[in-house]
Amino acid sequence: MIDQRVFKFPGVKPAAAVMAVLTVIQAIMIILQAQYLSMAIVHLWKQQPIGIIVAPLAVFAVAFLGRHLLTILKDWLLYPFVEKTTKTLRKQFMAKLFDLGPSVVAEKGTGNVVTMGLEGIDKIQTYLMMIIGKVLDLSITPWLILIYIAIIQWKEALFLLAIYPLIIFFMIILGLAAQAKADKQYAGYQRLSNHFVDTLRGLPTLKQLGLNETYADNVYHVSEDYRKKTMATLTIAMTSTFALDFFTTLSIAIIAVFLGFGLMNSTIQLLPALVILTLAPDYFAPIRNFANDYHATLNGKNALTAVLDVLQRQTPSDRELLSDRNPVWQDDDALKFDHVNVGYSADDTTLQDISFDVHGFQKVGIIGASGSGKSTLINTLGGFLSPQAGDINVRGTQVPHLDQKAWQRSFFYIPQAPYLFHASLRDNLAFYSPDANDAAVNAAAAKAGLTDWIASLPDGLNTPIGEGARGVSGGQAQRIALARAFLDDSRRILLFDEPTAHLDIETEVELKQTMLPVFDHHLVFFATHRLHWMNEMDYILVMDHGKIVEQGTPAELQQRDGAYVRLRSEMEGATVK
Amino acid sequence: MKGFFATFKNDHWVMPYLRRYRKLLALVLFLGFMTYFCGAALMFNSGYLISRAATHPYNILMIYVPIVLARAFGIGRPAFRYAERLTSHNWVLRIVSDFRKRLYQAVEKQAVAIRQTHQTGDVLSILAEDIDHIENLYLRTVFPLVIGWLLYLFVVIGIGYFSWPFGLLMLLLLGVIVIVMPLLSVAVNGRREFQARQVQRQFYTQLTDAVLGLGDWLISGRRHDFLQQQDAPIDEIAALRRADHHFQWWRNFAIQFVFGAAVIFLVWWAGVMFTHNQAEANWVAAFGLALFPTVDPFSEMSQGVSEWPVYRDSIQRVNALDENAPVKVTQTKIGALAELKLDHVQFTYAGAKRQVIDDLSLTLHPGEKLALLGPSGTGKSTLLKLILGDERPSSGSVTLNGEPIARLQDQRAQLFGVLDQQPYLFNTTVMNNVRLGNLNATDDEVRAAIKAVELDDLIASLPEGYNTEVQEAGSRFSGGERQRLSLARILLQDAPIIILDEPTVSLDPITEQHLLDTVFSVLHDKTIIWVTHHLAGINHVDQVRFIEDGHFDMQGTPADLYRDNARFQSLYDLDRGR
Repeated sequence: MIDQRVFKFPGVKPAAAVMAVLTVIQAIMIILQAQYLSMAIVHLWKQQPIGIIVAPLAVFAVAFLGRHLLTILKDWLLYPFVEKTTKTLRKQFMAKLFDLGPSVVAEKGTGNVVTMGLEGIDKIQTYLMMIIGKVLDLSITPWLILIYIAIIQWKEALFLLAIYPLIIFFMIILGLAAQAKADKQYAGYQRLSNHFVDTLRGLPTLKQLGLNETYADNVYHVSEDYRKKTMATLTIAMTSTFALDFFTTLSIAIIAVFLGFGLMNSTIQLLPALVILTLAPDYFAPIRNFANDYHATLNGKNALTAVLDVLQRQTPSDRELLSDRNPVWQDDDALKFDHVNVGYSADDTTLQDISFDVHGFQKVGIIGASGSGKSTLINTLGGFLSPQAGDINVRGTQVPHLDQKAWQRSFFYIPQAPYLFHASLRDNLAFYSPDANDAAVNAAAAKAGLTDWIASLPDGLNTPIGEGARGVSGGQAQRIALARAFLDDSRRILLFDEPTAHLDIETEVELKQTMLPVFDHHLVFFATHRLHWMNEMDYILVMDHGKIVEQGTPAELQQRDGAYVRLRSEMEGATVK
Repeated sequence: MKGFFATFKNDHWVMPYLRRYRKLLALVLFLGFMTYFCGAALMFNSGYLISRAATHPYNILMIYVPIVLARAFGIGRPAFRYAERLTSHNWVLRIVSDFRKRLYQAVEKQAVAIRQTHQTGDVLSILAEDIDHIENLYLRTVFPLVIGWLLYLFVVIGIGYFSWPFGLLMLLLLGVIVIVMPLLSVAVNGRREFQARQVQRQFYTQLTDAVLGLGDWLISGRRHDFLQQQDAPIDEIAALRRADHHFQWWRNFAIQFVFGAAVIFLVWWAGVMFTHNQAEANWVAAFGLALFPTVDPFSEMSQGVSEWPVYRDSIQRVNALDENAPVKVTQTKIGALAELKLDHVQFTYAGAKRQVIDDLSLTLHPGEKLALLGPSGTGKSTLLKLILGDERPSSGSVTLNGEPIARLQDQRAQLFGVLDQQPYLFNTTVMNNVRLGNLNATDDEVRAAIKAVELDDLIASLPEGYNTEVQEAGSRFSGGERQRLSLARILLQDAPIIILDEPTVSLDPITEQHLLDTVFSVLHDKTIIWVTHHLAGINHVDQVRFIEDGHFDMQGTPADLYRDNARFQSLYDLDRGR
């Protein structure tokens, strides 16, 4: 019923202990409240003067207020724990994200990770706030009330005790059946919701096909079909609530009738009868509350599972094997891969048997068809992926993976669409060297060919760019990434992953002029489809189906007339006259 | 409150449905009321029952009616609640179907504009969520509120029947719970909501930014900066939630406080009112207990309305949707295509200064094939919009057989086939997807089209063949295969003019070559306008034009350009890897 994981958070046990004591006091208040209200009513029933009910009503008032003040007090005491826990969770989550890197984002999806950090942890907060109080209520209040009723009249208490497992039994039986169906329905709901959004997104295509108007009815019919199916399931799902409701309400009615007979036969007096009747709803209240919030509880539970799953992941160890120095990579350094295998999961090997040996400021072209493993290789070089087998040797140091702190200070990674932060252009340019002064930033921007563009911006370097702000074309984004490299001279390795694949040929030509000077004094890995870049390389890795099928200088490869030549001619394909 | 009425002043999404389905609505409200009525009546009746029994009536029959009633109310409450929940969900889902259709139609009419102003599909997701929000507005705010008020009126009138001054007192006292507290909740939340939304949005943007740029953060090694950046919004969110909770706790306490006072007054009043004889005194317990079951529905009202700000945003957004069809000129029809002509076309986007298209003229005859090149932002996409009639030239004309394109929009799908960067595949079978090109096509015709685009072997190899689901957005197939499926669709559509809008931009060169070969071989008899970003496959066309700043600056056949134009030659060689 209660999640064991909740008790693992620091500070939960003292908080729960205090809460338990308060819950006991609260239960006593509930009993007092019922007792004294009944006393007042019995006085009136006996037609005694009105003044006599002042004292019992006053006690009732105090107990009633006390009961609800205790609710606040309980929340007040619990809240700092909950707040601290969720804050810590959020911070741990962010730290973990940073330590795990982009691979966890790639696996979970950006939207998913953001939702987890934002709404997911909100849900955990609600869950923690709710679950501790509800479980304590459920495990203390009904039983104290039951004991009190038993002292007054054991038969009614026995009935109330007997009905309890019955309620829980039906709740579980019906709840489980309904839950299974409801979950399926929820999946169906997600599908429908996605289907609807997809239909909206597919509208341009529908319009091209001349189907846009007729499709409106389709939208309606799909939705109506769904309504009918949903109602069928809801009918079952709500039966579980109905059962709970039915047994609790009917129990009260039966108790009333029992008491009525008891009173007629004089086996009980009015006062105890009234107390029992008043207490009966409070006896059932905790389980009803618990069932009502079942879904919120479930959401919180799932969110907790998802967040803990991320938090409990192993972060790579041995991250400091490579010694640090400035610059990390120098002219006489060497990087060696020896029979390296890489995969995204244990039972998958995307890259097999990768061996190569590069040194100094070589320009290494990586070429191959889509799916041949170019990006995986670049990701391994960037340390985003760890090899499953094989040896990597950097500057004579054997490392299990390239997720080395020192290595990370040695390179720039420039993908097809470099990410631009939601910040000023200046902050974006100086992302890797936040302490750079304006003169240095301007100089780097000039080298990257951005000066004219910056001059055309309303606030120059202070113009906000990134998602939701000013749009930046693909070519300019590449130039911003290049300016970052110009600005930070200590990083002497450049990893390019198809940087020009989506650019038109003319933009690419212009960009190439800017890019070539950066290649000097850098070790370059350049994965691309565009063949003309191979002319700028002095070593080429030809990839096919996760393997390096050929490597060597362009001249050697041309002469060998093997995979490289075949790939080139295939890529030139129909372009040849 | 002002915001509340302002929201509904021009509303045409929420209120009309309350009116249209008013019978079902009345039923929902009745069932909801009966649920709580039975709950209160059960306690009322039970109080009377045991009081009466305590007077030792000589015959069981004297308390027979309350005994039967106790059981009836005991069964009635859960039964009504069950019925109420089923009816209200049915009601709301029915409206949602209407909403979906309406939203679709609104977006459909403005399809061009929406793509232009928002680009991404995010806005569409937000709109789709808005519909879910309105669904909750009914279930969580409107129904509980109205049912609560009905119950309130019933209690006040019921007591007022015995004594109108005391009825008035209850009117005021319970009024605090059912009117003042909800208003207070809206007011307090309204004040906090603006701030909350800003903090939330800031955190959302920042978190998304951090997650998307995680690779750069990692490489930069700025772990401390990264964590520090998130601290401020995390603290702000925590502070906001705390304030929220504190308000809720005290509000709920205030509700209970007023409620406790109402119970005490009620008992006191009953003590004064019903003490003339034993028969009257039997009613005291009934009144004393009856109020307790009403506290739940009453306090739910405040919780429901505090969600109002979320709903208000959604209501305002859907109401802001323009549902008017754009003004359309009188439509006409043309026969077989003879000529597509752009005559001195100029174009500037409404409200923009820069002229995107500057005096373009172009004539195409059936079967001619044209390639358009040029850097992004030079007007290629605008030109396509002008040709399709999505935009109208500021001056000059776009005509087919001499008819302005704006007058041929009804016939558009019969005139133009479009293959763009991301052709859309719907989440249904391969067969159904391809058949969208022509709904009257037979299975054999669909198969023939798929064979023509060389996918027949692939489809045949799938376990379910032509009945294979393409899955969401066609994710079952690769980029090149998706393009081929859309090409098959276009073959069935059989329009004389085909627009190719960078269909190969996301494909690798080998896939690209093969696709272009197929495209130009199956469409050999069509008029083709092909926008492309580089020169692969350029020999398939008989005319190349480069657009620069809204006008053509280089044109000719690929062979002539290669021979005579140094720039073309160098680009061409570059593309071939030289």
